[in-house]
Amino acid sequence: MDKFDQWKNEDPKEKLTEDEDKILNQLGLFGESRRRFLGKISAASLSVLVSPFFTSEVFGKATQSDVSVDPEVLLNEIQVKLRVNDTVKPLTLDSRTTLLDALRERLQLTGSKKGCDHGQCGACTVMIDGKRKLSCLTLAATCKDKEITTIEGLANGNDLHPMQAAFLKHDGFQCGYCTPGQICSSVALLEEARKGEASYVTEDFKNVQRNSELSEEEIRERMSGNICRCGAYNNIVQAIKEVQSGKEETPKWEFATAEQMQKAKSS
Amino acid sequence: MKTVKASGIGNPIDRVEGHLKVTGRAKYASEFSVKNLVYAQGVNSTIAKGRITSIDTSEAEKQKGVLKVITYKNAEKQGTFDKEMPSFGLTTIAPVFQSREVFYYGQYIACVVAETLEQAQYASRLIKVTYEEEIPDIHLEKNKDKAYKPDDQADYSRGDMKAGMQEADVTVEQTYTTPNEHQHPMELHAAIVSWKNGKVKMYANQQILEQATTAIADTFMIPKENVQIITPYIGGGFGSKLRVQRHVIMATMASKMIGRPVQITVTRQQMFTNTTYRQFDEQRMRLGAKNDGSLTALAHHTTSHTAKNLQYYEACGTVSKMLYKTPNNEVTHRLVPLNMQCPASMRAPGEATGSFALESAMDELAWKLKMDPIELRIKNDTQIDLGADKPFSSRLLIECLRIGVDKFGWEKRKMEPGTNKDGNWLIGYGVSAASRRAPYMKTSAKVILKLKEGTVNANVQMDATDIGTGTYTIVAQTVSEYLGIPVENVKVEIGDSEFPVTPGSGGSWGAASYCNGARKACENAIAELKKKQNMAEDEEVAIVDLLERNNLSTFEAEGTAEPSEEYKKHSVFSFGANFTEVWVDKDTGMYRIKRMVNVGSAGKILNPKTAYGQIIGGLTMGAGMVIAEQTKVEPNYGNFITRTLADYHVPVNLDMANIEVVFLPEEDKIANEMGVKGIGELGITSVAASIANAIFNATGKRMRDLPITPEKLIAAEIESDVM
Amino acid sequence: MRPFVYTQAQNPQEALSAATANETAKYLGGGTNLIDLMKEDVERPTELIEVADLKFNEIKPNSRGGFTLGAMANNSDTANHPDIRKNYPLLSMAMLSAATAQIRNMATNGGNLLQRTRCPYFYETSMPCNKRETGTGCGARNGMNALHAIFGWNDHCVAVHPSDMCVALAAIGANVQVQQANGQLRTIDFSDFHRLPGDRPEKDTNLQPGELITAIELPKPVFSDHYYYLKIRERSSYAFALISVAAGLQMQSGTIANAGLAMGGVAHKPWKLTDVEKYLKGKKPSQSTFEEAAELAMKDAKPLEDNKYKVEMGKKAIVRALTQAYERGA
Ligand SMILES: Cc1cc2nc3c(=O)[nH]c(=O)nc-3n(C[C@H](O)[C@H](O)[C@H](O)COP(=O)(O)OP(=O)(O)OC[C@H]3O[C@@H](n4cnc5c(N)ncnc54)[C@H](O)[C@@H]3O)c2cc1C
Ligand code: SF4
Ligand code: FES
Ligand code: FES
Repeated sequence: MDKFDQWKNEDPKEKLTEDEDKILNQLGLFGESRRRFLGKISAASLSVLVSPFFTSEVFGKATQSDVSVDPEVLLNEIQVKLRVNDTVKPLTLDSRTTLLDALRERLQLTGSKKGCDHGQCGACTVMIDGKRKLSCLTLAATCKDKEITTIEGLANGNDLHPMQAAFLKHDGFQCGYCTPGQICSSVALLEEARKGEASYVTEDFKNVQRNSELSEEEIRERMSGNICRCGAYNNIVQAIKEVQSGKEETPKWEFATAEQMQKAKSS
Repeated sequence: MKTVKASGIGNPIDRVEGHLKVTGRAKYASEFSVKNLVYAQGVNSTIAKGRITSIDTSEAEKQKGVLKVITYKNAEKQGTFDKEMPSFGLTTIAPVFQSREVFYYGQYIACVVAETLEQAQYASRLIKVTYEEEIPDIHLEKNKDKAYKPDDQADYSRGDMKAGMQEADVTVEQTYTTPNEHQHPMELHAAIVSWKNGKVKMYANQQILEQATTAIADTFMIPKENVQIITPYIGGGFGSKLRVQRHVIMATMASKMIGRPVQITVTRQQMFTNTTYRQFDEQRMRLGAKNDGSLTALAHHTTSHTAKNLQYYEACGTVSKMLYKTPNNEVTHRLVPLNMQCPASMRAPGEATGSFALESAMDELAWKLKMDPIELRIKNDTQIDLGADKPFSSRLLIECLRIGVDKFGWEKRKMEPGTNKDGNWLIGYGVSAASRRAPYMKTSAKVILKLKEGTVNANVQMDATDIGTGTYTIVAQTVSEYLGIPVENVKVEIGDSEFPVTPGSGGSWGAASYCNGARKACENAIAELKKKQNMAEDEEVAIVDLLERNNLSTFEAEGTAEPSEEYKKHSVFSFGANFTEVWVDKDTGMYRIKRMVNVGSAGKILNPKTAYGQIIGGLTMGAGMVIAEQTKVEPNYGNFITRTLADYHVPVNLDMANIEVVFLPEEDKIANEMGVKGIGELGITSVAASIANAIFNATGKRMRDLPITPEKLIAAEIESDVM
Repeated sequence: MRPFVYTQAQNPQEALSAATANETAKYLGGGTNLIDLMKEDVERPTELIEVADLKFNEIKPNSRGGFTLGAMANNSDTANHPDIRKNYPLLSMAMLSAATAQIRNMATNGGNLLQRTRCPYFYETSMPCNKRETGTGCGARNGMNALHAIFGWNDHCVAVHPSDMCVALAAIGANVQVQQANGQLRTIDFSDFHRLPGDRPEKDTNLQPGELITAIELPKPVFSDHYYYLKIRERSSYAFALISVAAGLQMQSGTIANAGLAMGGVAHKPWKLTDVEKYLKGKKPSQSTFEEAAELAMKDAKPLEDNKYKVEMGKKAIVRALTQAYERGA
């Protein structure tokens, strides 16, 4: 039956725990790790997953849910074995299919986002052979024999990548739409810094400084290829700083004290 | 024994849905796996005014995998507007392809549906259209004679403006302009729609579900109950997703015609032409003051534009009615109909642009008076909203300004522009006052309690949305607080139009409304359970005991919260102050925002972590208004020549700098029972002025036309009264 | 995108013969410009020949005492190559000012040279544009031209070349190595590589059909101490230049022994300021010398309706870039 019509056929209340179980089982989470996982994501967000309108493949191994397309409708069809997050998936595609559309429309790896489709926003950033690139301007056809890492491939099982954890802790997002791109970009940035790559704001171009801790200015310049319209830049910078330095970043908000309030009133 | 949880309201917990967002698993409208899915692509007009004389779809239809091309020729009849220039409201219908008329450049004229995205996009290029072209009205300046007053509220006055100006020792009369701007949430507008047996179900990124279902139902002339919208996550809206846009209607019509689910994703280029924008505003300000700074007169006249067949106006002058104490006040709004897409809400409509004009003019006045701009604002503070003739529920603007002075280090500011230098840099400090209405609206919620092995879990359901504002998190915290259970035991289910009705996300009413609705449902649950046991209303008892005593393993309750009589007797606003330090390159016209301080008074802060996000987001968008955001109109053809994110420059990471935010500890119980006020739009309000004022302080150049680009800054003259 | 056949060439011969066999084929580098333009329906190749994987991605010393950049090496690897950073920091700086890390990781050196103008009329297929569609007129000439040329334009086209890398290459002096359809190699001096619009605005360069860029050859480095790439733009990053200046100075006992100076954002090609370079030679660096240099550079500027600001901005930019270049090494 058409999945689309199943949204609300079952009573959500009855179904909830079963779905929950199913999803967590699919994830291979039992016992303690299940509890840890639940603790991490919090029940409130799990409820979103298990709401009846979410198909359980949201959480399944994404490559299992390859949406095959009748080759009849493809033009100039090409065969590519896409190696994404350590899983190889042979696909038959239209030669025009970009890596981004292959991931989103065919492999259901919708973590990589389409914000412009023209290289102007960074939402589609993935890592190809360890380097951050834009999947919207990359033809899937050019990706054979390449190792693609998307946001879905960063966490190790239920353990978040340190950068993901830092984004969560520092609220490095709001709507979350630019977030996968921001995180992939940040992870690659650390590697670039380790190798001593320069940026336009680097003081010394002539000498390569490896493993240098990036200044705030450097982080901002190097992250300028990822637009966040929600404007979470400050929090993103804090998350990256903390991961790079290992030093805790403190929040930039505070409440006015009673004395401050008093003084402001009477002065 | 209600225990205060570390996860209850007021605590900076991580977003409850955050895990899904950082792992890429949060699903947005276009991302659901649906069998049999096909793709639709809209086609845009290439004239600004006239009518289609022929439309040849044969080439497109011939292509492999193309299922349908919809144009005015084969489109079904839809709802029509009941009057000539209807207001563009939240439930306004969005009919497509109902005639051959073209009202603006980029209007949808066809829709192609194909088996693959690639073919839909390709075939959309093959539609051949001829037009009978007419000369469009695209220049505001040339069409000013057609300016009209949009409605009765457009004009306001108190006292005698003329007398006020005569009485003044010092006056400022200046015009400020702000360009067409686009909301550009990062998530493109999109929908997956299925029409079956007269019923429509869709995933669509709409900010307000109740109103969107009405708009869709009315467009298709079907009962509202037949429309369901699901939208668990929305990748930003900023107003653009408030109203139903035509791609939703096109996809629905396509699904109805071909009997398969249809996905449509608006391109970024179409985000310019088909999902609304903020219109160009010309604001004429007249201010008069006594030598001691007290305002004797304040007038704010706005001229902007609307569409030829739909009316929207941004009430820029509202802020000038209420922010300062002046006996003589005049506010007007005029609209010029142009052959352009109808503008609509963009973050803080009215306030964002109006405050740029007012707070720039106040800075000019302070300079003329040789008065500290903060003192000028304090001098004219009022605890009564003179425009509405009601007291403010609470107004801590003076506190915001004074606390900001210390936090920012305002005393280091040099009064004389151009005197604070560092190498090639000219350093300036700027300030502005912010105010934004904090509405609160009727909201319903349902809470479902479950008791298992001594633990209570709660699900809360409402048709609310989370556009990045933190709805999931603050609602979870509210339920945790009012039921006295850990936040981990709360499940928030939102983004489904079949859940209890809320006002949705928009206009800064979301947080206050949602949380009070959820609160009410929790309170009702407790009250009903107590009543069953004949317990006193105020008896302290844990929810787990209540369920146990009632011998219930599950229990449901609904609640509806709405504004009180007290609320209606007051003017309810959030207030704030913005401080900015700007470094301007003395030669190249480039400048950098070095740091910002925002002090905000917005009632009870539900979660300072997510609230901080809202404020810095607003400041960033406000900075965008100054730095480069503008959509230019081609003068010969009337299209937006600014058409991609490579030409429309929103701020990038390097444009922004350290932002510190101070929240005032406050609970405004008149605003609502939880004391919460909106914060989502407060952040953007008046930021532009604080930056422009800082640029004046740095350079002596008064920039009255946004954005302030390097070319404009280089060309600008230093004000004649600056040494 | 229009349908196209995707061809992966195993070697240059294969690529060249595929290109010779199909007039409407195009080479695919990193795709950052070509795929964008194909999605916009501006470029309409019927075949894409992938050359990104060919072995032209080396950066190695050459016989002129300089270095040769493989055409398929990407912009990041090139800008970050230790030899390039050490010897041609001006080039690194210019390249790193362009686009974003993601785009630089994709963009090839060959593709960068051939990236097309960002004139919005060129991008919007419903607008007139001689560069996109011969004979339709120049939309920008009588429309909005704030971002357009002040040198070398004519009524056929007033567009500017958008590359930052090319501005530095013009200042440094380079040549481009290409392989012709018949397999022959030829070398094009960088200043002859890009063209002014003339009466063929659709042609950006003097590359012949089917020719494949294989390398960019750099001369012996002389600006490795005194260099600066100044880029004036609307936002602080991820934006094309309104005006840019690449400045390199070779100092010998207090005087300028050699100057390399070029501008971006002012003409249909990277604008090498040969006269100014000559003027600076032998001069002592000073504010007034640099100001005179700037006057000289802008002497023949012919601004359009909307871009008069570029003359003043250009002068300021030249003075600043020269000053920064001089002071950087000092
Ligand atoms: C949003 C955005 C912002 C940008 N900002 C900047 C900026 O600020 N400054 C700047 O300088 N650039 C900028 N760029 C442009 C970028 O630098 C170029 O797109 C890039 O250098 C092109 O290289 P490529 O390898 O991707 O070329 P492709 O797109 O692959 O190809 C471009 C052209 O070159 C041809 N071609 C490629 N390789 C060869 C070869 N070896 N021989 C012959 N022909 C060949 C192709 O057929 C095509 O016609 C930006 C790009 C984008 C998308
Ligand atoms: S300037 Fe050149 S590219 Fe732009 S419209 Fe004119 S011809 Fe086309
Ligand atoms: S979607 Fe690829 S850069 Fe915007
Ligand atoms: S979190 Fe919404 S765009 Fe970045």
